[in-house]
Amino acid sequence: MTSEPPNSARKVVVHLRATGDAPILKQAKFKIAGTDKFAKVIDFLRRQLHRDTLFVYVNSAFSPNPDELVIDLYNNFGFDGKLVVNYACSMAWG
Amino acid sequence: MDSASSWDGTLRLSEFYFAARALSQKWKHMNHVLPPWTWFPCPRPSWAASHEVEGYLSLENVCYLRSNGEDPDRSCTSKEEPSYYKEELTDDATLVQSCDEEVHFYDFHILYSGSYKVPVLYFRAYYSDGQPLALDDIEKDLPPNSLKILRESKWTFITQEEHPYLNRPWYTLHPCGTSEWVKLLFSGDSCNNEYVIEKYLISWLSVVGQVVGLKIPLEMLKKAQLYPVSSSSSVNDGLSRWNPQEDC
Repeated sequence: MTSEPPNSARKVVVHLRATGDAPILKQAKFKIAGTDKFAKVIDFLRRQLHRDTLFVYVNSAFSPNPDELVIDLYNNFGFDGKLVVNYACSMAWG
Repeated sequence: MDSASSWDGTLRLSEFYFAARALSQKWKHMNHVLPPWTWFPCPRPSWAASHEVEGYLSLENVCYLRSNGEDPDRSCTSKEEPSYYKEELTDDATLVQSCDEEVHFYDFHILYSGSYKVPVLYFRAYYSDGQPLALDDIEKDLPPNSLKILRESKWTFITQEEHPYLNRPWYTLHPCGTSEWVKLLFSGDSCNNEYVIEKYLISWLSVVGQVVGLKIPLEMLKKAQLYPVSSSSSVNDGLSRWNPQEDC
């Protein structure tokens, strides 16, 4: 790994990916401070889509806890310089 | 199980057993805050084939501190002797917790739903004196995000059901939406049957845990950490870590 600025200065590129019939964002990539919690990504999504009920998950088959730090998620599950976060709209009753 | 693209997000009973074992093993290795999950074998229902193992996972006496300030990590190490709190104490100085902190205890069971063919979370909570918590009080213990999920989502809600084996009322997260969102969780992965079974309960718990305040360590969710479940040495290993209990 190349030397990086300390985590406090580190920004993470998040790529929001629509799945199913969820609306696609015009601006799907953005930067967020690594020290922010994942809750911020969820809230950002909710505001962008004007929806509260979203199912948010990462490719590795799990839904990140809102308390997780974005930098931790990126370090473990990021690739190609970004963290891909998938979102779907809430399901109908099964 | 069909190929990943046509998979419907459900598990067979036998697959639930292996998924439960995978969760239990990884949890024991990687979760340093909470005690391990214990497998309780149960009498086989009449409709299950003779080679199938029936049972459930149990995690009990997880204490939740009702604190005043912001407390992102609500669950803590469970007390080793929860009965301590039930004893009569004449001297306040011997209390472990401070007087203005409330400690609640939570029991979590992961059962298999034969009708939905998915895992179901059962839970109950009680005060330090053993009195059960009502749902209103439980909701005050849950993380703020969880109440949002419960009120606004269409994929789960809390109901009270009779525990299938213990014949007492427990709270449960209704399993009706589970297969759909589990299928979604795994849709991005190029996965084979074995991978999905091993990962199923961990992935499931990453979602369900958010509702009840159980946090899954990131370590457990990484691909590289999969253990082979089928080798004989790990079966014995697995059994000793299983803490198998007598029939319920």
